[in-house]
Amino acid sequence: MGLLSLLRKLRAAPERELRLLLLGLDNAGKTTILKTLASEDINHITPTAGFNIKSVISEGFKLNVWDIGGQRKIRPYWKNYFENTDVLIYVVDSSDKKRLEETGIELYELLTDDKLQDVPLLVYANKQDLPEALTAADLAQALGLPSIKDRPWQIQACTAVRGDGVREGMEWVCKSIKKK
Amino acid sequence: MYVFWWFFAYYLRPIVKWFLRKTTGLCELQRICYGKVQGAPRTKAVDYSLCMSKSPQIAQLIAHLNDVSDNQRFVGSNLKELTNGAVNTVMLVKKINPKIHFQFVINFGQCVEQIWGYRQLLAEVEELRKTVYDADNFGHERKLQDLWEKLMPHERLEGRVTKQWQYIGFQGDDPKTDFRGMGLLGLENLLAFASDYQDAATYVLSHSHHPHYGYAFAIVGINLTSLAWTLLKQGDAKTYFFNMVKSAPSLKLFHQFYSYLFYEFDKYWIECKPKDIMEFSTIKDNFEINVRNALQDPNAVFRINFSVDTI
Repeated sequence: MGLLSLLRKLRAAPERELRLLLLGLDNAGKTTILKTLASEDINHITPTAGFNIKSVISEGFKLNVWDIGGQRKIRPYWKNYFENTDVLIYVVDSSDKKRLEETGIELYELLTDDKLQDVPLLVYANKQDLPEALTAADLAQALGLPSIKDRPWQIQACTAVRGDGVREGMEWVCKSIKKK
Repeated sequence: MYVFWWFFAYYLRPIVKWFLRKTTGLCELQRICYGKVQGAPRTKAVDYSLCMSKSPQIAQLIAHLNDVSDNQRFVGSNLKELTNGAVNTVMLVKKINPKIHFQFVINFGQCVEQIWGYRQLLAEVEELRKTVYDADNFGHERKLQDLWEKLMPHERLEGRVTKQWQYIGFQGDDPKTDFRGMGLLGLENLLAFASDYQDAATYVLSHSHHPHYGYAFAIVGINLTSLAWTLLKQGDAKTYFFNMVKSAPSLKLFHQFYSYLFYEFDKYWIECKPKDIMEFSTIKDNFEINVRNALQDPNAVFRINFSVDTI
């Protein structure tokens, strides 16, 4: 067997590619989660103008993670990224009680969009390290997650700046895809 | 290829140096200080030569200067004293006669000031970047107010937390969370651009409201702080700083570098005719490549050439 055929064989078994969409309000921590997943330095993050994309290999999957800016002016562009999404990841700043309603409305809009029908939902209850943060269970109630019947969903408490909980969330993502 | 260069730097370089020393009667640092043009070409070559030096005295000197500049003590009389000390050490180690080579004393001293001034600037910038924007700090709040007044002199801010902030390109109604990883440095840069180049800044701000090519001024500005900081840290910006001033570069000069980047980015953005803000990362990456390429030319000098055109 020559080197070429060996290479061809290696290429013939690629990981399955997944498209993950990372959404949420501005300052929720989407880019920090993205960089944590890619094992990159998170100490000099700037607000996302537009979007960031990174590919990470995890549990035999190649995860293409799209992190779209969360500021109000950018939100209308979110829908341009819905097509072929395998898992929707929604990031919430658990300590930002003032904008709890706003983040709930945005999430509701996503869940009622046709292009995201049946797409599994992972909610990261981020910034658990802050004293005023809501617990994952309280946040799930506040966002009305238990009433979701049309798709698998999960809420994961995390502190992205410390890397806590991020991996657990991704494990659920991979599991829910394998089940499909 | 890499092995070849390593081999060259480690074994052949000393032989070439010895040969040149014997034939010209000058050490490498002298040849650089007399032969290279003042500014980035000379100072970068001196920097490289010092780093490659195998003399223990010079290594010790470098370590000391690094330590002083990292702690931001390379200033005032200390700066003069240390520079003279560095020149004297090198003269002694390299057996250079100061009476004959007085020009070397001047030229080399200048290089020392620039090299460690740059290092100190990096420490200073890094400290500002790590200072988190604090809404309870009066000084921080004052600067934010100033930024508004410089950019929007004819409109009063209705409150501390208001939707008006979005007009100058912050994400929500309170800018404090937008500085993130760039900390106070992001604000200081924006403020310096708005105060020192007020015309250019308001012109750029008006572009950011363009119906087709608009963008978020402050957010893009904070992302450009990240670019300026990266270029400073990775050393690409040395060309700029060594060519701009003959002495140690100041924080003001960093703000000037930033202002240049912002002004040029705006121009580039409009030229690219982006479909919408979602093209930001691509355009910013291309812009970064262009800037890095421009900085490769050791003779590059950057200045804002501001002239109002109508589009």
